[in-house]
Amino acid sequence: MLEVVEPGLLTTIQDAGRPDAVGLGVPAGGACDPWSLRVANALGGNGPWAPAVEITLAGPTLRVLADCRVGLAGADLDARVQPGDQHFEPGTGRVLRHGETVVFGAATPGTGVRAYLALEGGIDVPQVLGSASTCLVGRFGGMDGRPLAPGDVVRGRSDVFRSEEREWTWVGAFRPALEATNRPLRILPGPNASVLAGGAFEQLLATEWMVSARGDRQGIRLDGPPLAVNPASAEMLSQGVVWGAIQLPPDGQPICLLADRQTVGGYPVVAVVISADLPLLGQLGPADPVRFAPVSTDAAVQAQRDQEELFSSSTRRLAAT
Amino acid sequence: MPTVRPYGDAALLVEFEARIDPTINERVHQLAGLVADERRRGSSWAAPIPAYASLLVPYDPLRMSFEQAAAAMGEIVGQVSASGVAPQEAPALEIEVRYGGDDGPDLDEVARRTGLTPAEVVELHCGTTYRAYMLGFAPGFAYLGTVPDGLRVARRATPRQRVPAGSVALAGAQTAVYPLATPGGWQLIGRTDVVLWDPQRDPPALIAAGRTVRFVPVRG
Repeated sequence: MLEVVEPGLLTTIQDAGRPDAVGLGVPAGGACDPWSLRVANALGGNGPWAPAVEITLAGPTLRVLADCRVGLAGADLDARVQPGDQHFEPGTGRVLRHGETVVFGAATPGTGVRAYLALEGGIDVPQVLGSASTCLVGRFGGMDGRPLAPGDVVRGRSDVFRSEEREWTWVGAFRPALEATNRPLRILPGPNASVLAGGAFEQLLATEWMVSARGDRQGIRLDGPPLAVNPASAEMLSQGVVWGAIQLPPDGQPICLLADRQTVGGYPVVAVVISADLPLLGQLGPADPVRFAPVSTDAAVQAQRDQEELFSSSTRRLAAT
Repeated sequence: MPTVRPYGDAALLVEFEARIDPTINERVHQLAGLVADERRRGSSWAAPIPAYASLLVPYDPLRMSFEQAAAAMGEIVGQVSASGVAPQEAPALEIEVRYGGDDGPDLDEVARRTGLTPAEVVELHCGTTYRAYMLGFAPGFAYLGTVPDGLRVARRATPRQRVPAGSVALAGAQTAVYPLATPGGWQLIGRTDVVLWDPQRDPPALIAAGRTVRFVPVRG
């Protein structure tokens, strides 16, 4: 059980989101980096999609009200457990003791912008429309539909603390998406790629984009030389959009959609980030460089299959330590 | 016949003729219903997103290849009758609206732009039965159409940071009620006290896709 002393920049509860509610206009939501959510949960002794705390860019200070097992994954916010100034590294799980305090700092550049803190049993908040995730636009889910605030108490669902004291470490890369520096996001052409003027798709691939400071859980904007749209392309009707869709508004600066994207959109979707790279997309922050690389659908699906196998094998090895 | 295309590595986009038309939209929702039936039988489809003239259908590519998904969707699409689809004739949902004043701060501007009096704007807005073509933008936000030609106005040049919940708004051929306080760029002509969205209610959205809606003026 943890009490929020300082909430951090944007700290919410996230699980797998509400993919079944999209027909109601509800953002699918869920963790922006689903890989790291699953790693944190494995380290915390949970099933992969248990509700956990999503921490953004600058972290909270949490006071431990009762012993609990926790897992941490994703960006490195230089978390310290006091007293003792013990470094709580992402990719590890540990037991927090009553009276201790966990202090998260700012995200270390190059490690991403979102960290996930899982509590054993999963965080105990009501399910709304099939999920515990905080829906910020709808102001429901998570902790009363809002980011965590001072005084909030974050409880795990298992009220009995079962673990013997020990530590857990993820075997292998816990941030595989970020291991290779400057790795491009792999994309497929989008359903409206034909609106791009001649050479604009090649320009999308050739440009080193920079993540704009204007970004949130709905999406990130990319700064770079504007992409030209075919003047003949008619105004399009709004249509459903997917996670990873790359929209092109009239200013020619692409927008990559994240977990809290609106369900439908009227901007042309010129490319789509492959499923296996959505965790990497969710770790991009202001001023990060972004490159794109084209892949085939077969390669995209194989990358996702490989990622699932990596998660399964790493989880089995974790259980064996 | 609608076309079935890939949308990324985990979804299909089924596109009907790209028009705002009740019959086309009815087919979209009919197809969404067929996909929902398949889901109940344990298929690899995820919940679809209906729009004006398209249906986005996510699927699990680790259980079904694109080729398998496209073939299966082609069969489902074939079940949507190409003709004789009549929009549902359920009684229209009536929503009481206070027009103008603080409830509808853009009513006078809309009147000016359309060359109508504010009273004529209200009369025209209330004199039409609208169809909920789709939900989107925000939870429970129904895109209602179509607005009579004489009442079509562009969005505001600068969106408002906060539009109050219950605001009744116009944008082009569309009208809507903001279910929640959100940023928004539509022209606000009135407001209702009806609760459009309540996640604890079943169903949470007052206006379901495909439903018909009428607005009724009340005094503030």
